[in-house]
Amino acid sequence: MDIGQDIVNAATDVFSTMLMIDLVVGEPVEGAGVEVTSNICSMLGLGGDIRGMLAVHCPAAVAMAITSGFLGMDVDTLNEDVKDAIGEIANMIAGNLKIAFAGYGVKVELAIPTSVVGESYRVGGMLGARRVAVPFGMESGQFLVELKYIVNG
Amino acid sequence: MGNNVLLVDDSSTMRKIVGRSLRQAGIEFDNIFEAADGLQALEVLEKESVDIVLSDINMPNMDGISFLREKANRPNMKNIPVFMISTETGDDIIGEAKSLGAVGAIKKPFTADMVNEVLGPFLK
Repeated sequence: MDIGQDIVNAATDVFSTMLMIDLVVGEPVEGAGVEVTSNICSMLGLGGDIRGMLAVHCPAAVAMAITSGFLGMDVDTLNEDVKDAIGEIANMIAGNLKIAFAGYGVKVELAIPTSVVGESYRVGGMLGARRVAVPFGMESGQFLVELKYIVNG
Repeated sequence: MGNNVLLVDDSSTMRKIVGRSLRQAGIEFDNIFEAADGLQALEVLEKESVDIVLSDINMPNMDGISFLREKANRPNMKNIPVFMISTETGDDIIGEAKSLGAVGAIKKPFTADMVNEVLGPFLK
């Protein structure tokens, strides 16, 4: 399994198809070691043959730019539309990853995304999980897609 | 095209995107109704005249599959065509949706052209 490349493929497909944005792709990193300054995080639980969580971490400027692109209007605050839009980004990336996992014979079920807005937060839990994170760039800044998962034994 | 469409998705952003994609695809409706889950969708179908439904699958309260199942049991709405618009594209879940009356499916992410490709032949 090349989960880092799968995250890259999943995210670039979502952004090119829905927003017509060609992302600048960073190096996938396994384990700790890559973070971006983030003001909003949308998380989505994964079940089935794995237990896991997909998270999209965005600084405010990136989240508002994505939402503006979706809605076709200027967005200048981290409002409910922004939380909803970043949740949909997480949902579609997870949907693409579900297809990638199916190619490895791993069946994945998707939960419904939840978004958190804040100046200072940490996402913890899932002791022993494999973590793969990929930073992406667009005109308004960088954001991070992070996958933590454990394959059920 | 005229007539009325119902968009069912727990994401208000996605409902707006689908509505815009329909217009970009040249598919115009007289009215676009919206619902955030299957329960709200059933309420709209009880009250309004709807010609076609575009529905997500993963939603809180009542998901798209349960919505199809419940709709199939209501004679006044069971013949209204439903297209699924979802990240769920597996043969198992789309097969289940079609067995419950769904006419077709569009995978998220999508473009206006992809919407037109699926809906266009049906609406002609």
